Amino acid sequence: MIKKHWWKALGVVLLIYAFTVGLLVPLKPGIQQVSPRSADAGTPITVLVNGYNTSYPADPTAIRAWLKVDSIHALAANSIRQTSRRAIELDFVLPASLPSRADVMPASLIIDEAQSGVQVLPDAVFIRQQVLDPAAGNIAWSQTVIQDLHKTSGMNFPFRNILKETIRNTYFHVSLWFAMLFLFIASVYYSIKHLRTRELIYDHWAESFTRIGVLFGILGLTTGAVWARFTWGAFWSWDIKQNMTAIALLIYLAYFVLRNSFEDAERQARLGASYNIFAFSLLIPLIYIIPRLSDSLHPGSGGNPAFGSEDLDNTMRMVFYPAIIGWTLLGYWLANLSARLLILREKYLSE
Amino acid sequence: MRIRILSIFCLLFGTTIPLSAQDGGLVDFMDSIGKIYVVVGVILVIFIGLVIYLIRLDRKIARLENQIMDND
Amino acid sequence: MALIREIGWLLKKELTLEYRMRYAISGILLYVLSTVFIVYISAVRIDGAVWNVLFWIIVLFASVNAITKSFQQESGQRQLYYYSLLDPRAVILAKGLYNCLLLLVLTLLTYACFSFVAGNPVKDAGPFFLAIFLGSLGFALTFTFISGIASKADNRATLMAILGFPLIIPILLTMVKMGAQSMGLIQGNSIRSDIATLVGIDLVLLAVSLLLFPFLWRD
Repeated sequence: MIKKHWWKALGVVLLIYAFTVGLLVPLKPGIQQVSPRSADAGTPITVLVNGYNTSYPADPTAIRAWLKVDSIHALAANSIRQTSRRAIELDFVLPASLPSRADVMPASLIIDEAQSGVQVLPDAVFIRQQVLDPAAGNIAWSQTVIQDLHKTSGMNFPFRNILKETIRNTYFHVSLWFAMLFLFIASVYYSIKHLRTRELIYDHWAESFTRIGVLFGILGLTTGAVWARFTWGAFWSWDIKQNMTAIALLIYLAYFVLRNSFEDAERQARLGASYNIFAFSLLIPLIYIIPRLSDSLHPGSGGNPAFGSEDLDNTMRMVFYPAIIGWTLLGYWLANLSARLLILREKYLSE
Repeated sequence: MRIRILSIFCLLFGTTIPLSAQDGGLVDFMDSIGKIYVVVGVILVIFIGLVIYLIRLDRKIARLENQIMDND
Repeated sequence: MALIREIGWLLKKELTLEYRMRYAISGILLYVLSTVFIVYISAVRIDGAVWNVLFWIIVLFASVNAITKSFQQESGQRQLYYYSLLDPRAVILAKGLYNCLLLLVLTLLTYACFSFVAGNPVKDAGPFFLAIFLGSLGFALTFTFISGIASKADNRATLMAILGFPLIIPILLTMVKMGAQSMGLIQGNSIRSDIATLVGIDLVLLAVSLLLFPFLWRD
C-alpha cells in the first residue's frame, strides 16, 4: 500500500505545506505609499509615509530616514513624527541643487528602525531642480552616511510595492507553470518509449501527460490573467511570456487535433508521438530563448535569469521548490488516473 | 449531472460578472488588505479548474462502465 | 558514403520532377508575385517596420504553400518503392535540402519584388541575408517534417497550418528581429546571439528530423 502510493501522499503533503506556509508567513514590513511623489530642490518638504506590516515606535528618535538619489548621495530627514504604527511624517530640507546635471532625479526612500528593520521604496520621490550646480549638490548630498541598518527578524516574504501579498501567487501560478513543463517532459519521455517499443500503453501515458499539461497550462494562463489584472492593470497585457504560453498551448491543442484526424489507434499513437517530440524540441527555444529577446513585465527580462536573488529570496525558495514538486506529483496523479482509464478502455473495448 | 454543470456555471459566472463590469468597487476590494484577495482568486481558479477536470474524468469513467456493461 | 549518393540521387529526382511539373513551381512564383502586389496596392506607405514584418509574413505563407505538396506529388506506390530501396534519413535530408533551396529562391525573389515595389530599407545586408539563409533552413526543416506528418491525414492543408504555425514562431520572431536590426530599426548588438539562436534551432530540428522520420514514413 505505502510502497505503491507514497508519491501521492508526498505530493499532497508538499502542497499542504506550500498552502499553509505560503499563506501564513507574513510579508516583510515595507513602505506602501508616500506623498508627495515629486518635489522641488531648495524647498522643505514633508513626506507622509504609509507603512505595510510596520510597527513604527512612538519615540521618533528610534526611527531614521533618508532620501537616496544614487549609490553615494543621500539626505537624512530633519525631523520625524509618528502618527500611528502604520504611518509617519518625515521632514526634509532639500538642498538647492542635485549632485547631477539631470533636471529630475528619482530618490529612493529608506526608513530604518529596530523592530521592523530597514524598508526601501525605490523611486519614491522625484526631485526637480532649477539651478544646475553638481559641485554644490555633491557637497550638500554627501553630509550623511547610511549605516548600522537593522535586519528584519523572523521568517518573512519580501515586500514588493506593486505585488504586496500577491507575491504568494509564486507558489500557485509560477509553480503550476513549472509543473506543466515537467508534465510535458514526462509526455515526451513516454512518446520516445512508445516509438522504441510500439507498445500502446506508453502512448496512453504520453497522451494523459499532455492532457494534464494542457490543463495546467490553461490554469497557469487564467491565474496569470487574474494576477496581471490587479498588478499590471489588464488581464492580457501582450506580455511576451503570456503570448509564449498561449503559443505553447496552441502547439499541444494541435496535438489533439492531429490525433483525432486518424481512426487507427496505432497511427494516432505513432504520428502523435513523432509530433510530440518534434514540438517539444521547438518549445524549449520558444519558452526560454525568445522571452529574453525582448522586454517583458515578468521578472528575468533583459537577459537576466528569472528569479534572481532580488525576486526570490531564500525564504521563498523554501516554499517555492516544494510547491513545484507538489504540483508535479499532483499532475502525475491526475495523469495516472487518465492513463489507467485509457488502458482499461483499450483492453475492454478493443474486441 | 445537469445540476452539477449548473453549479459550475454559477461558480464561474459568480466570479466573471463583476470582473467584466470593470467597476471600481471590485478593484478597490481586490486592492484592499495588501491585495490578498488576488491570491484567493488565483487559488479559486485552480480549484475550479481541477473540479472541472474531475467532472470530465467522472463522465468518462461512467461512459466506460456503461459500455462494459453493455458488452457483457 | 552511400547516404550521400542516395541524397544526390533523390535531389536530382526532385529537380527533374519539379522541371516536369513546371506549373507547380510557377504557381508558387505567381503566388509570391500577386501577394507582393496586393500588399503593395493595399498599403498606402510602407515604412521600415511594416516592410520587415510584411516581408517575413509573405515568405512564411509562400513557404507553407511551397512545402505542403512535398510529400503528396508522388503516388503512394512510387513512394513505397522508394521506401523499400532507400535509407529514410536520405529521404528526409534530400527533401529538407531541396525545400531549403526552393525557399531560398522564393525568399530572394520575394526580396527582389518587394524591394522593387516598396523600396529597399535594408542597410546592413550581411545579417539580413544570413537571416534569410538560416531562416529558410529552419522553415524548410520544420515544414518538411510537418508535411510528412500531415500527408498521412485527409485534412492536409488545415493540419499544415495548425501544426506548423505555432512551431515556426521562434524562428519567425528571431528573423523579424534580425531583419529589424539590419534596417537599423532597433539598436543593440545582439546579432551574434540571434544567429546563435537560429543555428541552434536549425541543428536541433535537423537532429530531431533525422531521428524521427524513420518512424513516420513506414505506413
